[in-house]
Amino acid sequence: MRLIKSLQQILLILLVFVPAGAIAGAEVLTLEIDGDAEIDIRIFRAEGDTLLLGFACDEGQGIAEQSTAESLAEDGVEVWMPDMLGGYMLPKTRSSIQSIPSEGLYGVMDKAMQSGKKVYLIASGPETELVLRVASEWEARHDGAAGLAGVVLLFPRLNDGKPEPGKEPVYVEAVGKTREVPLLVLEGERTPNRWGVKHLTAALAQGGSHVHAKLIPDVRGYFFKREDANMPEEVVTTQLAGLIKASLFFLGRTDR
Amino acid sequence: MKKMLILLLVLFTMPATAGLKPYEGEGPTPPLTLTDIQGTMHDLAAYQGKVVLVQFWATYCAPCRKEMPSMNRLIEKMGNTPFVILAVNMGETQEEVEAFVEEVGPEFPILMDPDGESIGAWQVFAAPSNFVVGADGKIHYTLFGGVEWDDDELVAQLKELANE
Repeated sequence: MRLIKSLQQILLILLVFVPAGAIAGAEVLTLEIDGDAEIDIRIFRAEGDTLLLGFACDEGQGIAEQSTAESLAEDGVEVWMPDMLGGYMLPKTRSSIQSIPSEGLYGVMDKAMQSGKKVYLIASGPETELVLRVASEWEARHDGAAGLAGVVLLFPRLNDGKPEPGKEPVYVEAVGKTREVPLLVLEGERTPNRWGVKHLTAALAQGGSHVHAKLIPDVRGYFFKREDANMPEEVVTTQLAGLIKASLFFLGRTDR
Repeated sequence: MKKMLILLLVLFTMPATAGLKPYEGEGPTPPLTLTDIQGTMHDLAAYQGKVVLVQFWATYCAPCRKEMPSMNRLIEKMGNTPFVILAVNMGETQEEVEAFVEEVGPEFPILMDPDGESIGAWQVFAAPSNFVVGADGKIHYTLFGGVEWDDDELVAQLKELANE
């Protein structure tokens, strides 16, 4: 009984005093942006030549994001997860995403580029607007993709307002602005948005980027964040790192 | 101040109702000819003279699942008004839809569209997407998202359309 109590105390001490980064095997880099923001970036270091910058905006605190990042790092893909919302002191709501300044996104991306690795961007849901925005900004300032190897859009939610039945969707401004960087759309097969993938793909390609789209069988949107995940979703979640790695490989082979 | 607080309280505790939006699409009503889950063929054109609620839905769409019982109650509230619901499933298998029908018990035809052909023709990009076709065969209203279909305001709008 005494032993159990001691173990409980040790666990409690560990939980309270050991920083999350230490448990996660990640380091935190703080990046100052023009005196406007201090952005913490959780970095899962790896030796390989590939860097995945995930604009999860909350340092990847969502379900499965950390384990996926760790798994990717073990496979040689360095993962960076900035806390854009915290950096600009914005509330964790969908409407905050559009308030994140492009300058901050660009600053984080520029820092990632300084690593000398091939940089890929990834985001899911409405946050995909951010990676499109920063990718087009990067292309505009560098007259081309210049080291930006590709963008993965997981379950992109890029409608400007609610979709209207019988009318073509209207997208946020960032859609169709990228010129060179290849884009890959991944959508769950069991989501109503799968029916809009073809239209979205065409809209994304309007700026010149090659756009590919793949449906992930048997899963719903945000499957890796779901607390009510079913069996196929749990299986795909455990293989999410492999899916992302395959996506990066695919994008790396795409002609520009 | 007190009145303002009461007003805010009332606003925030009211059940969410979204009205039907006038249809802004162009061109004639797309064709809709599909078999239902029992294998009976339904042609939208054959329902001319009745108001038809055409809904595109899927079993994995949470708002679709939630609102379906209210569609049964809507039929009841419409009474003798010439009105039907055609609920088009978006590309799922017979087994998946049958399991859902057994659980929820919709009292209207569930049409199967395994290849999603009608989805493209009707310009549906998300679910639930609803179209209200008048007795004249034209689309009059649309509505995106889940609602309580037996809401008095919606019932009144549908009845008014039937009387036009």
